[in-house]
Amino acid sequence: MSGHLQKLRFRRGAEATRVVTVPPMDGALKPNQYLDDAQVVARQERPDNLARDGDRLLFSSGPILYALKMGAAAESATEVARFDSEIAALASDGAGGYAIGLDNGEIRFGAALSGVRSIKPDAPLAPTALAFGAPGRLYVCSGSVTNRPSDWKRDLVERNASGSVWSFDLSSGRGACLAEGLAFPYGIAPTEDGEALLVAESWRHRLVLIGARSSPKTGGRETVLDDLPGYPARIAAAPDGYWLAIFAPRGQLIEFVLRESEYRRRMMETIAPEFWMVPALSSGRSFLEPLQLGAIRTMGALKAWAPTRSYGLLVHLDDRFRPTGSAHSRANGSRHGITSCLQWGDRVLAASKGGNLVLSLGVDQFLGD
Amino acid sequence: MTSAGKTTTSDEISLGEQFTAWWHRWAPTKILGEILTKRWIDNLVPMVGLVVVIAVFGSLISEFFTPSAIANSTRQLGEFSFVVLAMMIVMLAGGIDLSVGSNFALANIAALGAFNWLGWPLWVAIPAVVALSAGVGLVNGVLIGYLRLRAFITTLVTMIVVRAVVESVTLNFGPQISAGDVDSPAWTFLSEGQIAGIPFSFALLLLFAVAIHALLTRSRPGWRLTAVGGSRRAAHNAGLPVRRIVASTYVVSGALVGIGGVLYAARLGNGGNTVGVGLEALALTAALLGGNSLGGGRGSVVKSVVGAVIVLTISNGLVRLSVPQGLPAIVMGAMLLLSVAIDIKWLKNRHKLLADVYVSPGYNYLPPPPSCEPDSGTPYALNDRLRDVEVIGKGEIESPEDVILDRDDHLYCGTRHGDIVRFFGPDHKRSEVFAHIGGQPLGLAFDRAGNLLVCDGGMGLYMVTPEREVRVVTDETNRSRWSMTDDSRLRLADDLDIAADGCIYFSEATTRYEMHEWAIDGHESRPNGRIIRYDPRSGSTRTVIPGLMFPNGICMTHDGQSFLYAETYACRVSRYWFDGPKAGAIEKVVVNLPGFPDNINRASDGNFWLALVGMRSPAHDLALRMPGFRKRMSRDIAADEWMAPNINTGCVVKFDLTGRIVESLWDLGGENHPMITSMREHRGYLYLGGISNNRIGKYRIPGADPDWTGQDSYWRSRK
Repeated sequence: MSGHLQKLRFRRGAEATRVVTVPPMDGALKPNQYLDDAQVVARQERPDNLARDGDRLLFSSGPILYALKMGAAAESATEVARFDSEIAALASDGAGGYAIGLDNGEIRFGAALSGVRSIKPDAPLAPTALAFGAPGRLYVCSGSVTNRPSDWKRDLVERNASGSVWSFDLSSGRGACLAEGLAFPYGIAPTEDGEALLVAESWRHRLVLIGARSSPKTGGRETVLDDLPGYPARIAAAPDGYWLAIFAPRGQLIEFVLRESEYRRRMMETIAPEFWMVPALSSGRSFLEPLQLGAIRTMGALKAWAPTRSYGLLVHLDDRFRPTGSAHSRANGSRHGITSCLQWGDRVLAASKGGNLVLSLGVDQFLGD
Repeated sequence: MTSAGKTTTSDEISLGEQFTAWWHRWAPTKILGEILTKRWIDNLVPMVGLVVVIAVFGSLISEFFTPSAIANSTRQLGEFSFVVLAMMIVMLAGGIDLSVGSNFALANIAALGAFNWLGWPLWVAIPAVVALSAGVGLVNGVLIGYLRLRAFITTLVTMIVVRAVVESVTLNFGPQISAGDVDSPAWTFLSEGQIAGIPFSFALLLLFAVAIHALLTRSRPGWRLTAVGGSRRAAHNAGLPVRRIVASTYVVSGALVGIGGVLYAARLGNGGNTVGVGLEALALTAALLGGNSLGGGRGSVVKSVVGAVIVLTISNGLVRLSVPQGLPAIVMGAMLLLSVAIDIKWLKNRHKLLADVYVSPGYNYLPPPPSCEPDSGTPYALNDRLRDVEVIGKGEIESPEDVILDRDDHLYCGTRHGDIVRFFGPDHKRSEVFAHIGGQPLGLAFDRAGNLLVCDGGMGLYMVTPEREVRVVTDETNRSRWSMTDDSRLRLADDLDIAADGCIYFSEATTRYEMHEWAIDGHESRPNGRIIRYDPRSGSTRTVIPGLMFPNGICMTHDGQSFLYAETYACRVSRYWFDGPKAGAIEKVVVNLPGFPDNINRASDGNFWLALVGMRSPAHDLALRMPGFRKRMSRDIAADEWMAPNINTGCVVKFDLTGRIVESLWDLGGENHPMITSMREHRGYLYLGGISNNRIGKYRIPGADPDWTGQDSYWRSRK
């Protein structure tokens, strides 16, 4: 009733509901500078997906797979493999098995870091995240039917929802689709009982649970965390819940642009993607990037709370998927674009793809106020 | 930084876009917003209501417009309007007076009694009656103003008490009061007389209306009264005698009701006890319908009279249409409710409507800009020549938009606190506040006599003499002929330069926004600015070039007949001839800059320095071509989130009069001197100012004339 009355007010009708709002960073997501203060584990161009192989940390960087021996002081990362396409996703089963998803859609896996085999799925894939389940089972997030993982900006601006989740039997190489019609699934982790998969549906800013044996027909998809203030990426298991990497913030202008179809069309037609008004892994490096009014430097300083297209955010969720703590790098920081995270003893590692760093934080920072 | 690659591909303007451009240039959206800023917009709805009401009843009732009907109506209107004015004055100060009806009846019988029964002469009777009614008002005033009782309850009680008095008097002395047979031409004149064909009571109303209007809008007591109604606490804090003002409104109200009562008595001679029953509701309805606010602070004589005409027309019209008994009262009640609702809704939503409508983005097409890539080979190619700029006064000053040096090498700049700060030459280590003006000092220039002229955002054109005396030079210009709003006051004087004959040419960046709203003007990207000339010989200020897109820097060329000016949001520099054979001509000199031009100043080699305050970005350039997109942006998201020109990075370029860019100076990292709004060459160095900086930069220009100063360039030798 009051809604109807509001619509009568000064012909604002439709517009009254048009006002853009984004959820605030509050509660467990209250901003801090933990990421800015975090210890640096490795400096590498655009580090992306993190995985553990014994006492070695594996991470991807462009087409190269690096390994880093953890614990030893001042060790530098060594190149272990190089591919003909960018590495889009990476996972290890903790027992020497690993899998790699490439930007060109291929998925490769092997026992050690040699003897690579490829899976050739029936449908074209855009692997964005991988996770091992029971022995010999690999789960794959495919971001989009039409765009490669590296073309994620276009997929967002096109407002696609063509992503899918797959389950592969590694011995036969046969895959089954578990769910489709997802808006860029970008992170996946099996639940503790292995019965379901927690999937980050990035363009819809939410986490969904998908049955490990469901199919697109049976559906069975449950939203467990909604209205995130950013775009979720990879998910990693934590002893008492999950780690969630948020790779970019939501913003009023971004959401506004996403509903302006004419502007989006002309932007895609005439402007290079790095200068689009969309979320980014890092920002402020070129004056050709779009700027927002609140992000104008005053007296040589940028406000920490300035509107920004890039942000650093790592969230801890409890076993009921509720956020309990977070680490931030705000608009005035540079450790942005956290795409991947990984528990390592009493530390948690985070890849800042926008800040060209792999970071390490104490887990205790996330617990208790 | 990667290449802008694709930005240069699509540069055709489609038919649809041409229509967009045309529509946003000529559509009345801007005017609509400006109309809403007018105070008289409040009267628009009542005025329309008035016209509708008269049209409806005029067509329903055949003899509505006959002279006798009109004469009768205007007599009634005279009496009634006095009561509505009484109600309005009390409401204006934030109160309400329900006792007007009873007081009116009291004045009526008092006038009849004094004249018919006691036989007082008119010149005694009328002032006595008015004083009696004012006395009732005084009781209200003391109780409400000084004893702080609730206006509603207090005047309700007065209404009942006075009505009781009237009834007891008419009960006991009715015949004596009514039965008047005194033959007085003056008394008859009150009811039937005419002045220049206008019924006396209506003429008297006009006289009072003009007087009260002047009192309310042009005199101190009127302003104070409005201030009390607008915000009682603020008025109290400002030192106004709130209690006395409130009390006095009831006294004035009573007196006006008294006059209305006398006129009524003279017209009808009716000593009955139903006179004035329900009049307070009618008066309240009329006052509210006219657009006077129930909450106080908003109201006028015109509104009241308009409301009175509407109410009287409807109530008389309904009676003449012989509608069933009781219906007129129901109609009046409904109208009272309606007007209260409109009053509240309008006041609450007016500013929202204005905010929705006022910002009116225009179409601003900028061709793809030249590349600034380090390896692009253009004169704009990025470099780090400003990396080793020496920093002056870091942290001591804020917002030095412009900088200038005098003959003794002292360095001057404005700050956002309204100061002119002077750094002592030659090393500029120590500083002092040279003068305080207020506002935000922007452009600076020295005249022949060594006075410092300052364009001050928010204030106008000011002068600081060498003796530190601050003087207004000018703060208004001629009003534009077809402008909806009064644009004569200077809002954002930005930069200036002085011609050889002493005339000062200065830019006003926008006439639609204030200094702190410059970004909204950029969002609008409309030609809202102008260039103005101040002639010291005649003391006159005239607009010379209207309709410019955020005109900013101004610099005299060396020919003494023309100057260069930069239009920030049009990304171009033009030249205007104010004298000589080409007087009045405008030529574009530099077009399609890759950034937003700010101040222009002379270089020692005969060329000109130009500051680019920010750089263009493809996403923003595209938005500038889509006014509807920007309009929705400004309506749907917070201003902090709007897409903005990138003024976090800037540079200095040097150009010649043919428009060729000679060189550019960049600070690639942007750490030392991020944004630049002005630069001034002096003895081989370039001094850099920036409006969102807290420092001044000093750059040694390789190969520049070490003796060259702006003073010598403009005024030759020391005077």
